[in-house]
Amino acid sequence: MSTFIQLVTRSLETGSIYALAALGIIIIFRTSSITHFAQGAMAMFNTFVVTIFYINFHMPLWMALLGGIASAFLSGFLVDFLIIRHTKKVSPVAKQIMTLGLIMVFVGVIPLFFGVEPLNLPKFFNSGEIAFLGAKISYNGLFNISFGLILMFVLFYILQKTKWGLAVRTTASNDVVARMMGVPTRKVTMAAWAIAAGLGVIAGVMNAPTTTVTPNLMDSVQLNALIACVLGGFQTFYGPVLGAYIIGIVKNLFVYYISSVWGDQLLYISILVFIVFRPHGLIGKKVIKKV
Amino acid sequence: MKKLLAQIKAYPYTKYILLGLVLATIPSLVYFDVLKSSYVTLVGVVMIYTIVSLGLNLLLGWSGLISLGTAGFMGLAAYISAYMTMNLKMPFEVTLIVSILIPVAISVLVGLISLRIEGLYLAIATLAVSEIFRKTFAEFEFITNGFSGKSVRYPTFFGFFKLDTTMTYLLLVVFMVVIMILIHNLINSHVGRALNAMRGSEAAAQAMGINLLKYRLLAFALATALTSTAGILYAHFIKYVEPSKWNLGLSLNILAVIIIGGVRSIIGTFVGSLVVFAVPDLVLKQIPYFGKIPNFAYIINGILIIVVILYYPAGLIRVFNDGKDAVVKLFKKSRGKTV
Repeated sequence: MSTFIQLVTRSLETGSIYALAALGIIIIFRTSSITHFAQGAMAMFNTFVVTIFYINFHMPLWMALLGGIASAFLSGFLVDFLIIRHTKKVSPVAKQIMTLGLIMVFVGVIPLFFGVEPLNLPKFFNSGEIAFLGAKISYNGLFNISFGLILMFVLFYILQKTKWGLAVRTTASNDVVARMMGVPTRKVTMAAWAIAAGLGVIAGVMNAPTTTVTPNLMDSVQLNALIACVLGGFQTFYGPVLGAYIIGIVKNLFVYYISSVWGDQLLYISILVFIVFRPHGLIGKKVIKKV
Repeated sequence: MKKLLAQIKAYPYTKYILLGLVLATIPSLVYFDVLKSSYVTLVGVVMIYTIVSLGLNLLLGWSGLISLGTAGFMGLAAYISAYMTMNLKMPFEVTLIVSILIPVAISVLVGLISLRIEGLYLAIATLAVSEIFRKTFAEFEFITNGFSGKSVRYPTFFGFFKLDTTMTYLLLVVFMVVIMILIHNLINSHVGRALNAMRGSEAAAQAMGINLLKYRLLAFALATALTSTAGILYAHFIKYVEPSKWNLGLSLNILAVIIIGGVRSIIGTFVGSLVVFAVPDLVLKQIPYFGKIPNFAYIINGILIIVVILYYPAGLIRVFNDGKDAVVKLFKKSRGKTV
């Protein structure tokens, strides 16, 4: 039983990383109707910025993270300002392909700016753990889980209760009508790109200590976050977050109880089978298209 | 004579055969020391990627279905063919058929899934499929030899006719030209028109009596057949298959080929393949300073994808036509002034 709880708490940690990345993707999808494949690549780029702040400028980690968030906001702004804003007439699939082009740009510039050596980023809390029902959780894991939850709670509060949140939701539900009603959709979209990039870099910094900071840092996170969006459905903001936690937990359970080699593949196959039966995800509703 | 020339020009396959003939001269140019010997490998690889990209073009360009699983399927075919010829000592012809049939069968399953999910999710679903393959390649050491990779030999026909580098290269030329002609015929047939209609509007296509299930599955099957062919040829031309090759980066490069070269253009696909897979080695590395930047070609391809979609959606193949139009216009203008 304690192994099970240990597994679940460990999964909640990876789940919150996936959830932050998935939330970034869904915010972009809802406001600009683009499936944002470059979310992971941008997060990876900004995690490199954090690492450089930490290693070369000897900043404490939290300060480096703030610097990284600033650079994430900037990169989000720039991507929206330079590219996304001009895509009004581009078809959805072509927009998707543009974000794939962005991946190539962000991955490509890494050796140019940061060299080819893999870098290391430490945890927020290096040691210490607490016991919980026979399972041990490290302080860092606890911090990651709670930080992710608090951040998401704040964002959902803003989305549901504030005027800005209302603006985002109106833009998400109908861009043209929102503009007619006086919602500054351009600013909303721009802010969405900035916030998505910010969520990405936080996920990146949480993920970095488990591996090294290389251009592949966010590949698996990005894939799992995208699949979480499919699993949770693209129609709500909270669906993908739920999907992300489910994937985090089921993945670890599969890897531990079934097979460490085939666990991931089994998970992906079962999700593919799942969307055959529920194509709009767990919470998704059917969108009725006009012909 | 003039009539004959006009006839040849009107013959629809002329450009493909001409392209094939030009490419077929490269080994002899290398033999006479006009070109470096590395050109054979380089152009051979370009042709292999042209075949894959034609498959993806059929899927994305003509049918409007996006797939990020290209690399996975290509790797699958490469590994199956490598295993069959090297470990099971099967003849190349049998290998060719089996290594196409298995990926096609799997892709039909993916096609079935694709019917249930909307266009935007398809990219994610195929990405997941590709990821499943990539992880499996590394783990399934019994067939793939794991991370250390698997070496392959040049193909042998009828059990005794062993090909060398040049002959394998010529085999690639033949394959590419034949596939180009087949696709040309396909898209000008009722199947091509059905795929086109499906891309335009699924509802309208259905209303016109097009069976979506049948044509979607057909598009997936044909695209994967081409991808697998390229994977088999790759394994037997490069003579080495490794698991890290078949990642998202390769799928993205193949996507770049279509977007940059020209969506729904057969020759454009070849041009795109040349830009993505040959120009980096031939041109970009020669540029002072910039050529030294690692990944320079990858960055340029990424930027090209974005710029082409935004400002030049028909792809680089249009450059030839637009250039011709501009020259004709200029010529007409200057003549107008003198008269």
